[in-house]
Amino acid sequence: MAFEGGVNAVPLPHSPANGGEARRDRLPSLERVVSAVTCLGCGCMCDDIEVVVRGERIVEARNACQLGVTWFGDGVVPASARVAGRETSIEEALAVAARLLGRSARVLVYLAPDISCETQKEGIALADALRGALDSVTSATAMSSVLAAQEQGRASATLGEIRNRADLVVFWGVDPAMRYPRYWTRYAPEPAGLHVPAGRRSRTVVAVDIGDSRAPADADLRVALSEEDEVATLTALGALFSGAVSLEDWHFLATPWAHARALVPVLRAARYAVVVADAEASAGGDSGRASALVALTQLLNGSVRCALSTLRAGGNRSGAESVATWQTGFPAAVDFARGYPRYRPYDGAAAHRLARGEIDAVFVVGAAGLIPGALQSMMKAVPCVVAGPRASESDLAAVDVVIDTGVAGIHEGGTAIRMDDVPLPLRPTLSGSPEATAVVRNLGNLVRRSRPRQPGGETGPMTRTGTPESAR
Amino acid sequence: MSQLRIAGGVVHDPLNGVNGDVRDICIDGGRIVDDVSPASPRIDARGMVVMPGGVDIHAHVASGSVNLARRLLPEQHEKDPVLAPVLPDGEPPTRSGTGGTVPTTFTTGYRYAGLGYTTVFDAAVAPVLARLSHAELDDTPIVDAGFFVLMGNDAYLLRLIAAGERESAREYAAWLLGAAGGYAIKIVNPGGIELWKRGSRGLTELDTSIGATSVTPRAIIETLVDAAGSLGLPHPAHIHCNNLGLAGNVTTTLESMRATRGQRAHFTHLQFHSYARGPDGERRSGAREIIEYVNAHPEISADVGQVLFGPAATLTADAPVEFLLHKSSGRKWLNVDIELETGCGIVPHTYKEASAVAALQWVVGLELFLLSADPWRVVLSTDHPNGGSFLAYPELIRLLMDRAYRSEQLERVNQRLLAGSALADGITREYTLNEIAIVTRAGPARLLGLRHKGHLGIGADADLVVYTTDANRARMFATPRYVVKGGALVVEEGQLRRVPTGHRLHVRPAHDAAVERDLRAYFSRYSAVSFENYPVGALRDAPFPLIKDR
Repeated sequence: MAFEGGVNAVPLPHSPANGGEARRDRLPSLERVVSAVTCLGCGCMCDDIEVVVRGERIVEARNACQLGVTWFGDGVVPASARVAGRETSIEEALAVAARLLGRSARVLVYLAPDISCETQKEGIALADALRGALDSVTSATAMSSVLAAQEQGRASATLGEIRNRADLVVFWGVDPAMRYPRYWTRYAPEPAGLHVPAGRRSRTVVAVDIGDSRAPADADLRVALSEEDEVATLTALGALFSGAVSLEDWHFLATPWAHARALVPVLRAARYAVVVADAEASAGGDSGRASALVALTQLLNGSVRCALSTLRAGGNRSGAESVATWQTGFPAAVDFARGYPRYRPYDGAAAHRLARGEIDAVFVVGAAGLIPGALQSMMKAVPCVVAGPRASESDLAAVDVVIDTGVAGIHEGGTAIRMDDVPLPLRPTLSGSPEATAVVRNLGNLVRRSRPRQPGGETGPMTRTGTPESAR
Repeated sequence: MSQLRIAGGVVHDPLNGVNGDVRDICIDGGRIVDDVSPASPRIDARGMVVMPGGVDIHAHVASGSVNLARRLLPEQHEKDPVLAPVLPDGEPPTRSGTGGTVPTTFTTGYRYAGLGYTTVFDAAVAPVLARLSHAELDDTPIVDAGFFVLMGNDAYLLRLIAAGERESAREYAAWLLGAAGGYAIKIVNPGGIELWKRGSRGLTELDTSIGATSVTPRAIIETLVDAAGSLGLPHPAHIHCNNLGLAGNVTTTLESMRATRGQRAHFTHLQFHSYARGPDGERRSGAREIIEYVNAHPEISADVGQVLFGPAATLTADAPVEFLLHKSSGRKWLNVDIELETGCGIVPHTYKEASAVAALQWVVGLELFLLSADPWRVVLSTDHPNGGSFLAYPELIRLLMDRAYRSEQLERVNQRLLAGSALADGITREYTLNEIAIVTRAGPARLLGLRHKGHLGIGADADLVVYTTDANRARMFATPRYVVKGGALVVEEGQLRRVPTGHRLHVRPAHDAAVERDLRAYFSRYSAVSFENYPVGALRDAPFPLIKDR
């Protein structure tokens, strides 16, 4: 009864379009259709994609949105290994990379997008062995929402729960059509669910425009806020909803309160409200917004239920946070310098360390092209190894060692984690590219062999009695 | 795997009737054997106590929810750093980590082994997140491990019950166990999490309607208890009752036990479900009433879920409980409603001796232990990390074995709600070493149907622990001298020496293929995960045999 792989090879009749081409594969004219493929184009991670493969190319990604179609592309990726710009074998590139990282004192291991959790595990193991720093794209793009949730917790739900239950959907300064195109049709408000049988008609949609960030056009109620009023409106909403300030008696007509007054009756009428906000937009300096969103959505759980749905971008970013958390206790911005993980989100993210000149070598694993540009520039300034999809075509192509790998979910299987922390399998549709997991594991083995054993820990817990002293 | 002789130890192997006898234990190929060559390596265990490896029947160590708790508690991790253990040359690399009440995966494996525990079950896994549990367990070394699959609020199961299709419900449970790679059926607050998602704030009693009138906590318990029995699962339905922690929940708990109608069932963290209501409406101990029922009903088993003073992380699928705790304590709160299946709530918590409620909880747990007539059926747990960390087990053992120490502790705690409680009135019982061996190893292994664990008979897994005798039982059990896992010496002289990979314990009962047809339609209509992507697929270890297949 084990699921046997989901690859439904559907041979199609000979196609004249490509029939004349000489191909290396045995069945040049056949198309294969791989179903239930997971797309990493954005954090929605739609897993209903039917990928049509002809020869060694993807020719169609059925069910995918435009973002997904672009993400799959034709699946053709470079397969280069370079040392100092010179083409070489993967083996030699790995040997040089191992020497470079092995002799460095302060290595940064950076988890870029488009790698599986299995690859992320290998990258974190390497950071641990090297007593390096560890970081991922999260710290540059979504850290304020991570920190807000660590400070206060959060009230949330997986996307399927929202699909089946949310009767009020508030798009807070975001139109998912732009960066999360199928959120609307797969999760909410479009689909019918167990408790919202008429789909869109069973749900109320509220659009909150914030400055230039427009919410969807198809809304039952629209409120437009200035960026300056955003946090004040969130806190005013909380005060009015909870009854700390009486809706009837309040005559303070500053705009945040006016907006809040318009929204409160809709919230009170809901059974299950979801507030959808884009965590990736919160690049920095706006923890007030992330915190206020968390606080409000927690507070709305009283007479109604409420969940905050934070949108995350693609490439298995949530996976990097999850794996780092189970291996180190922290989601990003980790420092192993003392031989154990420490959390440095405020001053020890990759950008901080590189800017202060604390890093003497960088190892990027994943799609370098998806790292924020400012970080890429700083990485280029120190000895650097990049292993990942399209490394040789990225802006980091000229660094010391470059190893192209396949893309997780296209050339390599494994696990990825959706924006709501639901894990999904990745189904490779093409083969032949070096697998990132194996590349990083081999590199790790080479580095460990080249470095003397670090002084490690006694097995402390065994000498303790009762509850861990440090936790008391 | 090499041979080994543990020579001359004082052996406690209650399943085989060995109670403190001096004898050799011989190991070959990862199993206990009758004898090994005199030239085999030996451990001189004279004067030391030898027991099977510990078996944890109920903990939260590897799941999507556990990982959310890890993410929520960086402040605990920062305070409890763990260096990578140093092993002899030739051993694979070890990993650093962090501890606190919810340690990182590698640290969890090292610390369990360091405590003499060699088998652990995660008690609550939402099947849609099962893939995460397997990934975390892949990174949890040494211990053999598995998990229980949450079913008591599953929307599809509730539909089948509403339609009166209990046979289909059994087939669905079989499919779900295999799809998740789980070991047993878990019920948490049956129906009550669904009500929480619907915004209900009332009590959930056994006959409260969950949507349809035919769907009640009683019907859910009946259906899943029947399913576990008729599928021949090695462990019966593992039940976390409704109304956890509320004054007067004794009634709910007893009614839940009766709902099993004489069939095997395991009631977990009973401490949280043994509260009477005082005349003032406040909680009082209801331990005696509960344990007397358990004592009189051999088909019922339980673990206690003892509370220990100090930090904890309350972490449960019973999300409405966490909402109440957040409201009353003001501590940070995480809630995730998990699609079509269950919930997840997390609130950090500290049990303080000065708190009347915490003191009562501490007392109720001890009363359940001390009034239990059958240690084989009432076994040790703290519901880690809910009642306290698994690292607190040695402290709990001391409380059970050492009456003077217990009385001393009792005097320190808030007495306000303790009037009339059995412990306050004085219980003289002290657990023997053999009884400790039962409640921490032999008993849980038997309740879990693990025939090769929890004992040292010929053919058993070579999981065992050697302790230096110490009058301070907390110290003794916190610092094993030697730990052997699957025949490998993992702890020597109190130091971690080897880090073998543990086995995955899971079942894969056959199911009627017809159940998948309707499920496919249901998935395509409601699920945000494709039917094909839901099962975790083949696992490295073979499925554990069902009772009927043995």
